[in-house]
Amino acid sequence: MKTLPVLREKKRYIAFKVISENTINRRELTEELLDSMYSLFGDKGASEINPSLMSYDGGFGILRCQKDRTSDTRAALACISRVRGGCVSIRVLGISGTVKGAMEKFIQQSIIKDSEPEKD
Amino acid sequence: MSMFNAKFYDFMVHLPDEMDSINSLVLAAKEFGYSGMAALNLRKNRNGMNQLPEDFSIYSAIEVSGKPSDIRDEIRKYKDTGDILIARGRNEEVARAAVETERLDIILQPVKFNNVLGKIASDNSIALGFNIGSIIHTRGEERVQELRIMRTNLMYARKYDLQMVLTCEPYSMYDFRSPREMAALGGLFGMSPKEAVDAMSTVPIDIMRKKSTGYIQEGVEII
Repeated sequence: MKTLPVLREKKRYIAFKVISENTINRRELTEELLDSMYSLFGDKGASEINPSLMSYDGGFGILRCQKDRTSDTRAALACISRVRGGCVSIRVLGISGTVKGAMEKFIQQSIIKDSEPEKD
Repeated sequence: MSMFNAKFYDFMVHLPDEMDSINSLVLAAKEFGYSGMAALNLRKNRNGMNQLPEDFSIYSAIEVSGKPSDIRDEIRKYKDTGDILIARGRNEEVARAAVETERLDIILQPVKFNNVLGKIASDNSIALGFNIGSIIHTRGEERVQELRIMRTNLMYARKYDLQMVLTCEPYSMYDFRSPREMAALGGLFGMSPKEAVDAMSTVPIDIMRKKSTGYIQEGVEII
């Protein structure tokens, strides 16, 4: 049964870019993200943040979290420094209220920006 | 206007030895939203640094270390060079020697900071450094200790009105974190976003102003 609209919790969608030495797959990123979250905020905090990896293509991704816990989610993402022994850095591109917004405003813009030739 | 539109600086960057790595480190810093940085081993790597972006400033920093007497000597030796002087507060004796010597700029993550050190640091206009890298790269008990130290230091910084500096102490391009992430990590030990922004923009700019050749002392200028 669906949750009543008035009881539905507001979500935020965090668009991010993964900069890493090795290619990281979805399972590895999810494991590392949850590990980082449990380590920083514990089981209670992680349940309140309610993170969910919506999409990830090896470079860019969208992570869902509770509206009022975006700062904590940012902190958990920033604490990921190694995956499978390789160095990793995750850069948050922006936060949106919808998946479509996160995709169009941040990920597509970032891809266009990256593909532009550098001005001399 | 968002407070994250300011110019941000990281004042504790370790430059790698290879020129390619230095370039990628600078480009990464720029991509993460930094306008400049202070590099610890800049003197060694200064050759070939003309390929770097024009809108990115690199300053030289020196980490003074050793016994308390060596720290005093090193600060006196480098005080007029224009380099940013940073001391790591590994223990109380080292931190005491460092804050008591005038012209030190930053005391980084002192382990046992107290009201005496806070008062001296305030009198000598020394900024208190917070190493966010220690939160990123440690886990478990070690991170708990680091967060506890930072929480205590923040309390003294507020009490004695000390300037604060945030750094992620990067060794490579993968160690940088954007200013918003740094502020979020600062929130873990109670630092407000405003304090975090000031610690990455206003305070580093103020330290550079004090290091400029025209600066004599606070409230004095040549007309």
